[in-house]
Amino acid sequence: MELYSWILQNREIIKIIYALIIVLICATITLKSHKMFKLSLYQGIRYFRNAFFFYGIAFAVRYLFGSYLFHFSKTYSIVIEVLFSFFFIMAGFFLLYSLLWKKIESPHRINHSSLFNFRILLFYLMAFTIVILDLVWSTLYFLFFSQIFVFLFAFAISFSNYKSKGRNRKFLKFYTLAMFIALIAWILNALIEKVFNWNPNIHILTYLFNIFMFLLFLFGIIYLSKKN
Amino acid sequence: MSKKRERLEVIRDILNSVREKRKIKPTRLLYSSNLSPQMFKNYVNELLNKGFIKIELDKKEKKFFVLAKKGSEFLQEYVVIQNFVENFGL
Repeated sequence: MELYSWILQNREIIKIIYALIIVLICATITLKSHKMFKLSLYQGIRYFRNAFFFYGIAFAVRYLFGSYLFHFSKTYSIVIEVLFSFFFIMAGFFLLYSLLWKKIESPHRINHSSLFNFRILLFYLMAFTIVILDLVWSTLYFLFFSQIFVFLFAFAISFSNYKSKGRNRKFLKFYTLAMFIALIAWILNALIEKVFNWNPNIHILTYLFNIFMFLLFLFGIIYLSKKN
Repeated sequence: MSKKRERLEVIRDILNSVREKRKIKPTRLLYSSNLSPQMFKNYVNELLNKGFIKIELDKKEKKFFVLAKKGSEFLQEYVVIQNFVENFGL
């Protein structure tokens, strides 16, 4: 109980530490996958790298630049929320696309840019639309539902991958678990206002789920980039 | 019927052919790669542009492909990359 009240009292500092942990994890994943992409020229790794690049930016924007240390004005807070939502949605799209790209693009061709091409332009447009809709209605539901959709889809694909290749590829079960945890975290986020009445325990739980998901990816990338 | 090769396998096969021969003529490499001429051209151009292989000329000014440092690194890391791609379902 004492720990719980200590967390509530120091939640602004804890949010900054939480963000720093996730930003560091994302930076590590981005750099390691970037190195692997440079060596392999493999598009799937490129999209995966982009996902964690955007996750890192999103968390840095919201919890570091949007923290109480930088509380300048209401407009500043709105800009931070808009940027956070935009980067977060883009990250989700890239993560999903890293699982889907082979069904859409020719695996034998490589795009000059993975951030600026026609398909990715569609992601930018969708992310922008979702952000604008949230802004107009002063809500976050469009963000929540877009992420629930993304992680539901990613969970289904990773579960199918696990079912077909999980025997030989041990990390596929952790990937599926990570997608499931992310899905639950976003469902809780969507329900936090209406059902849980802003219950701080649920808030803390979603933070823990997020950290756990990122740690799973970090574990995967460190474990798999080791030479046998 | 054999399974269609993935992109990484195609790159590995091309680089392996270059490494085995040390110096290989473009036509020889085309045959050993088992690719269509157009596909072969795309792959080779990409490998040249990204510095995986390089072109050398012999005394008669004939072109040969040789393995560059990056290509050699790719072959060393191939298993790790393949493992990563398959374990993440990418």
